[in-house]
Amino acid sequence: MGFICAVNNVNKTYRFKGSDVETRALNDISLSIEEGGFVAIAGPSGSGKTTLLNILGGLDAPTSGSVIVDQTDLAGLNAAEMSEFRLHKIGFIFQAYNLISTLSAYENAEYVSLLQGAPKDRRLFEARQIFKDLGMEAYLKRRPTQLSAGQQQRVAVARAILARPKLILADEPTANLDSRTGSDLIDLMAVMNKTLGLTFIFATHDKMVMEKAHRLILLHDGKITQDIAQ
Amino acid sequence: MLTFIKIAWRNILRNRARSFITIAAVAAGLCALIFLKGFVDGADHQMVANYTDLFVGHIQVHKAGFQKSMGLDKSINNEETIAAVLRKTPAVAAFTPRIKEFALISSPESSSGILLIGVDPERERTVTTLHKKIRAGSFLSAGDNDKIVIGRQLAENLKVAPGDKVVIMGQAFDGSIAASAYIVAGLVEAGAEDLDKNLALITLRAAQDLFVMENRISEVAVKTHSLDDIDATAQNLRDRFGRKNFEALSWKDISPMTYQWLQFDQVFTSLILFIVLLVVAGGILNTILMGVLERTKEFGIMLALGTKPSQIIRMVAAESFFLGLAGAGLGTLAGAGIVLVCGRTGIDLSALSQALNNFYIGSVIYPLFRPVSIAVYAGIVLFLSIAISVFPAIKASRLSPIEAIRS
Ligand SMILES: Nc1ncnc2c1ncn2[C@@H]1O[C@H](COP(=O)(O)OP(=O)(O)O)[C@@H](O)[C@H]1O
Ligand SMILES: [Mg+2]
Repeated sequence: MGFICAVNNVNKTYRFKGSDVETRALNDISLSIEEGGFVAIAGPSGSGKTTLLNILGGLDAPTSGSVIVDQTDLAGLNAAEMSEFRLHKIGFIFQAYNLISTLSAYENAEYVSLLQGAPKDRRLFEARQIFKDLGMEAYLKRRPTQLSAGQQQRVAVARAILARPKLILADEPTANLDSRTGSDLIDLMAVMNKTLGLTFIFATHDKMVMEKAHRLILLHDGKITQDIAQ
Repeated sequence: MLTFIKIAWRNILRNRARSFITIAAVAAGLCALIFLKGFVDGADHQMVANYTDLFVGHIQVHKAGFQKSMGLDKSINNEETIAAVLRKTPAVAAFTPRIKEFALISSPESSSGILLIGVDPERERTVTTLHKKIRAGSFLSAGDNDKIVIGRQLAENLKVAPGDKVVIMGQAFDGSIAASAYIVAGLVEAGAEDLDKNLALITLRAAQDLFVMENRISEVAVKTHSLDDIDATAQNLRDRFGRKNFEALSWKDISPMTYQWLQFDQVFTSLILFIVLLVVAGGILNTILMGVLERTKEFGIMLALGTKPSQIIRMVAAESFFLGLAGAGLGTLAGAGIVLVCGRTGIDLSALSQALNNFYIGSVIYPLFRPVSIAVYAGIVLFLSIAISVFPAIKASRLSPIEAIRS
């Protein structure tokens, strides 16, 4: 099985504006993720999980080292190409769901596939299917504020999946959910992973998520301390 | 694209209070612009109408060179040639022949230099409003060849009243001394000092007899159907008469000072309108910018998901366009409505100022309804509301997704 992404000797240091104080968020990270993986990146707060996901998703650039996603070296992309890259290759699921508040659940779910230019009937068909799989058929027309936390995060999952990305990056997707809802959500994603062959990478410090992952990478102070297949 | 229009539209609905304030501000600003413009146009129109109606007329036809140096030597002996052309010009509503010459007026008490006008009492009424400005006695009637109407101020200086006798002296067409006595029929108060001090009117026949001119005249004063017709008609008459024989002058040529004053007034008004426009623009900028800042996180999400910066710009611009369109629509309706209603009823400023009469405006102003200028202002405001959104739109499109989402 091939690798969907690889980072080599990636460093990321943040320098606060107008000071010499530097934070080393990632310290010489090298890592490959297999296609179809269901991977958790775990570690305490401040260990660099979000930074790593942002770099993999083309939202941030490393200070040094190379990042290759789906055979594309991200260092070679300009801003417009990076935006295009995110649109077509990456699905994002955020801790705070981050739905567009003026759009309905259905409109949020189809947002990215619509930007991709997918035909309307395909979007509608696939969205119906996914909402059914997520147990959300009744909520297609609701606005985000009319949905519970778990329901909002399911819409976010639908949005990421409908775009048919190469890689779904989920930054602490269960952190704002109660354990039962969080567990159900991860199970749903596991099903998507299995049936659609989608690659998921989670940043998490939720034990339950770590247990359900097929591979667990532990980060500490920007360094990988363990990498366990399970 | 439709999605961004949809999102823009829903953003407007989402923050109804802010949208309402923006729309109201645009509408109020545009309404004020339209009203001010209508008011000033109305005042200017009245000023020109009253000024020209009083004495000058819209157009004057003279023998060529008369305007430069007025004199009986530049009188017209073929009035019928001019009359024939004027009768065939559709824009001409009425015209009247006159004699115009400087002379000396004397009473037992005093004497004074005057501008003596010989008028056809009946036809003069169709071109000017002098007959309505009689403050004592009466205006001339046909056949009143031994009567004279003089300015009220002049009568005071001469210490004469209606019924008194005055003597006019001047130089006749043949160079001899012209002198004759007249009974004061009435006193005219035009409200313009130069006229009230210097004007004296006798009948055309009396003037022709006084100056021994037979049927010669000095000028034909013309009234057109509308002030808007004046320039074109004057040009038309110039073309027909040819420059060598006659001069056809609009009131602007005859009273360049008055015309310049009017132009200054319009520049000044434009400046005020421009300032109002700036205030309106500032209001739009403020609300759009606030709306953008409020949604920083949402723009961050959109950018993170792969939305192009240009799409964000279009979305913000569309939002601004909707607000501008609603505001401009309401403002146009309100402004046009107010101008139309006030144009009927008039706005009475007599409580505020008596001075307006001195500018020929009159104390009741009727705003002028001009669809073209209303459309122009509506267009400018609409354009501004889009142009102004460019800055906040670019700001939104350049956000860093990570920072925006974290905020
Ligand atoms: N924009 C930033 N500017 C400065 N320091 C940052 C920034 N983002 C993250 N950091 C720092 O980098 C380190 C890693 O942060 P992060 O990747 O968010 O960790 P995690 O997601 O594991 O909690 C932390 O010390 C954090 O304070
Ligand atoms: Mg984090």
